[in-house]
This record gives sequence, structure tokens and C-alpha cells, in this order.
Amino acid sequence: MKCPRCVQQIHRAAESCPHCGFTLADADFAFGAEEVRLRRLTDAAGLIRRGDRARVEAALAKFSRSFPQLFFAVYTGSLGEVANIRQFGFWLLNRGAFEDVPVEIPNEAGILLTIDPESKAATITFGYLLDPYLDQADTFLSLSRAHAHWLEGKYADGIVRLVDHLAGVLKKRSRQARRDPERFEKKHQPAASKRDLIKKIRSGHQTSNSRPSKSQEVAR
Amino acid sequence: MKLPLLLLAVFTGSLLAEEMPLPRWLDGEREQAIKDGWIAGDQILNHGLAADPELEMSLLDSLKPVDVAPPTPEDLAESDAPLDPVPNEFLDAYFENRPTQFLIDPQGLLNADESASQLGFLKYHAGDSAIDLFVYVFGKIQEIPSEVRSEEFVERLFSTGRPAAVVFYYLGDPQRSEMALSPELSGKIALPEQRRAMESSVLKTMAKDDPAAQLKAFTMQMSIRLYWMERTLEGNFTPATPAVAEVSPVPEKPVSARVVLEENVVKFLKDWGPVAGCVLFVAIGVLVLAIHWRRRAQFVFADLDAEPRLGASHAAGVGAVISFASANLPPARQRDQMPDYLRRA
Repeated sequence: MKCPRCVQQIHRAAESCPHCGFTLADADFAFGAEEVRLRRLTDAAGLIRRGDRARVEAALAKFSRSFPQLFFAVYTGSLGEVANIRQFGFWLLNRGAFEDVPVEIPNEAGILLTIDPESKAATITFGYLLDPYLDQADTFLSLSRAHAHWLEGKYADGIVRLVDHLAGVLKKRSRQARRDPERFEKKHQPAASKRDLIKKIRSGHQTSNSRPSKSQEVAR
Repeated sequence: MKLPLLLLAVFTGSLLAEEMPLPRWLDGEREQAIKDGWIAGDQILNHGLAADPELEMSLLDSLKPVDVAPPTPEDLAESDAPLDPVPNEFLDAYFENRPTQFLIDPQGLLNADESASQLGFLKYHAGDSAIDLFVYVFGKIQEIPSEVRSEEFVERLFSTGRPAAVVFYYLGDPQRSEMALSPELSGKIALPEQRRAMESSVLKTMAKDDPAAQLKAFTMQMSIRLYWMERTLEGNFTPATPAVAEVSPVPEKPVSARVVLEENVVKFLKDWGPVAGCVLFVAIGVLVLAIHWRRRAQFVFADLDAEPRLGASHAAGVGAVISFASANLPPARQRDQMPDYLRRA
């Protein structure tokens, strides 16, 4: 896990970034704290041609059929010079209200692709449900599949390739999780806090103290 | 009980047969018998032949050769009758190409039953022997055109393919038949042996009156003689192609590997096409079902409770950032790992 602002590693239950103190409130301050209504495919930047739009929507629908728990959303828009795409993606998946996504699928099960044509950057953000199953390397490989298409301005082609690739990764992870669920459960367990650690050590000492040692037994 | 007595009788009988002398006339017995007028076994033992001159003469007459009637003028005319050449319209059918059947009778000199019977036997022979037997049937008073020489003809048409014996058979006049062997055999089988085979086969026809039966006897004997020829050559040659019931026509041009491959493919498809088609159909069906199943398959993830981070209620999984500003740099070099505050600075 990395902080959207300082890109430093953070532990799983961090209420704020231990390095830079970043929280969602900071993002709210930059982008607004209100809920944002948008659709699964929101092409605010107008990157996708009308003819290609159906293909992209079909790819998103296919993804939803394969993963009934999840949804994939795409947002394109110019963020301006001061905005950071990583923070924006993080903020949008938390504040977005996707109108064409069934209500029983929360944003925790969402994957958001954000494309900024002005800064020519793209990022992927995903909800808590996928925390154990996806990591940065997976998202980078998926983005790499689209890279060549986006360089040529073929945004729709890039998005379709990216969605297909990420679906392949998730299918693989789903099979792995079915075969070896513990592997992903361990990955997901929150790191022990310092307080828990001290408590554990003390309880451990108490246990060992409460049990009479061999020398004590001999003395008796 | 009877067996020992029987054996004893046989044994004593054999001893008596060996030791008993032949009966002889005692003194005066023969004269007494002549006086009585009858001698037992005299005719059989020929003792009294000289005494009966009439009987002697009749016996001598019976031993004289029978006078055979001299040939009539009609017979002589028939034997010297000029032969008719084979009609021109049949020449191509006889001599143009290597035959596809073992019995070549384009004139239809044999009826359908005879032809089928003969052809069946020749096919059987071909299946059983390494040397095929081709029989060209001509009419009794027909002759082959002078320009067709059997040796040259056989060399032209039978130099490739399985070894073959070719017989020009004149229906009703088997003595005029000719035989030639394909080049592969002619150098290995001596001419006297070939001649003996012909003579022996012609001799077999003498016992038959019907021309078709004669031909049958001829081919059967020739088949036997070919078998013995094959036995003598055993180990000296191997047939060019395996025995087949039906002779395939020999192409005039050398067969290319592609043509052979095509023929093999066609043969394979003919033999195994339906089975292969069914297997292929089932395999494609299974494949389509598997693809369909995989496409329709749904994947689920266990919903593991995650503690919120950074005050975010839904998501804090921040993935990679990639830039697509430069076409000259690979994606890995355009991965954005830069902290936000450095960018702002």
C-alpha cells in the first residue's frame, strides 16, 4: 500500500499517512467533499469517439459478467496543472456515485481507470475488496498494455486491452484464491499495532511467569 | 480271439507263398489231359497258342496299328485358311496402354459368365502370386498385326509395375498362343523354362473341347507354372508393389512425390474420412463448449473485511501511474513514481 500523495509505503490500518499525514480529507479539500454523480464510462475529456464508445461499454459489461461482484469504471478528464492524478483517482472512487452500477455493488468492489489527456497520464484505483488480490505491479502491467494505443491517440483500443488484461489477472487470482484461500487471507490481515504487540509480549511473559520453572519445582 | 488266428493265417500263408514251388506237369499228366480234350488255364497261360492258328492270327491283327483316315480336303483347307487380322477398331484397346484388367477381351469373344469366371481366377492368381498373368484373348482365326511384336509390346507396357507374364491366347486354337515375360522376369527365367510352361499349358487344353474350358485349363496350368517360376526366383527379386486384386494403370510419366502424397491423402480420407470427421466434429464440439463455458464462467472473490485507511470509506488501493507522453520511451521508463509534493515543488 502506498500513499497517494507521497508514494511511501503505509500499513494496512493507517488512519493517515505516517509520512506525510495525508487523508481523504486532504483530497476533499482539493476536489470537494460532495458526492460526484457519474456513469461507469464518463468521458469528460471527449477522448472516445462515438463509434468506439459501444466497444468500451461492451468491454465493461463483459467484465461485469465475468465478475458479478465487481465493476469497472473509466473516467477521462483534464485535471489541470495543480491536480495529482493519483490523489484524484483515490478521491473519485471514494466520492463517486456510479449511476449505472447496481446499488448492491459498492465502491469497495470498484476499479477506476482515470485518464488525464492534458498531463498524458493514467492510473488505476481499486476498492478494499480487491486489496488482497491486486497490487501495483498488476495495475502497471495492465496500463502497459494500453500504452501503445494511447500514444497513438486510440484511447478506446487501449481501454479495451487494459480491461481484458486486468480481467485475465483477476481470473487467475480468483482461481488461486479458490485453491489456496489462506494465502490471500494472510495478505489481508492488518499489521499488528504497537499497542497489540506490547500486549502480546506482556501476556506472553505473564504466561511464562505463571508457569513454575523447573528449578522452582525442584526447590519444592 | 479272432485277431491272433487271422495273424497266424496271414503269417503261414506268406511263408507258404514264399516257399511253395510253382506247379509242374508230372510225367504223363499233360498227355492224359490232352487226351481228355481240355486243359485248365491253357488259354490264359498261352500254352496252346501255337496250336490254334486262327486265334493267333486274330491276336496279331489286333496288335496292328489302326489305319487312320487321311485328312480330307476340307480339313486341309481349314488348316491352311488365311488368318484375319484383328479389326482395327480393337487395336487401341489391345495394344495402346497397359491394361487395367488381367483379362483383355475387347471383342467380347467370351460371354459375360466366362469372362467373369476367368477374370476372377486371374485376380485370385494376382493376389496369390508375385507375377501377374495378363491374358489377351483373340479369335481362332485372328492374327496380331505384324507390327506388334510381343517382346517389344511387353517391354513398352510392362517395364514398370509388378512383374507380369503376358499371354496372347487364340480362343479355340491354343497351340498358336504366345507368351512373353516382363523385362524384370525375362532376364531371369530361361527360354526353355518359358517354353515348357507354354507347352504344358497348351497340353492341358487338349483334354477340353469347349474353347472357354480350354482357356480356363490353360490359365490354371500357366498359373501353376508361374508359381514354380516364382519359387525358383525366390530371393532373387521382390515385387515392385504389393499384390493387389486390381491392377492400377501405370502412368506414362514418372509419378511425382506430390501426386503420391495426394493419392495417399485421398486414400486416407476415403478409408478414415468418416471416422476422422466424427472425431473432429466431437473434438470441435467439446472445444466450443469449453470456450463457451470459460466465457460464461463467473469469478468471485472472498469478501475479506478490510480496515479503512487514510479516512477513506471505500477505497485506498492506489495503483500505478503511467505516462504516455513519449513514444520513444518504453512504458517502464514512463512509470510515474514521483511524490506529489516533489511535483508541486
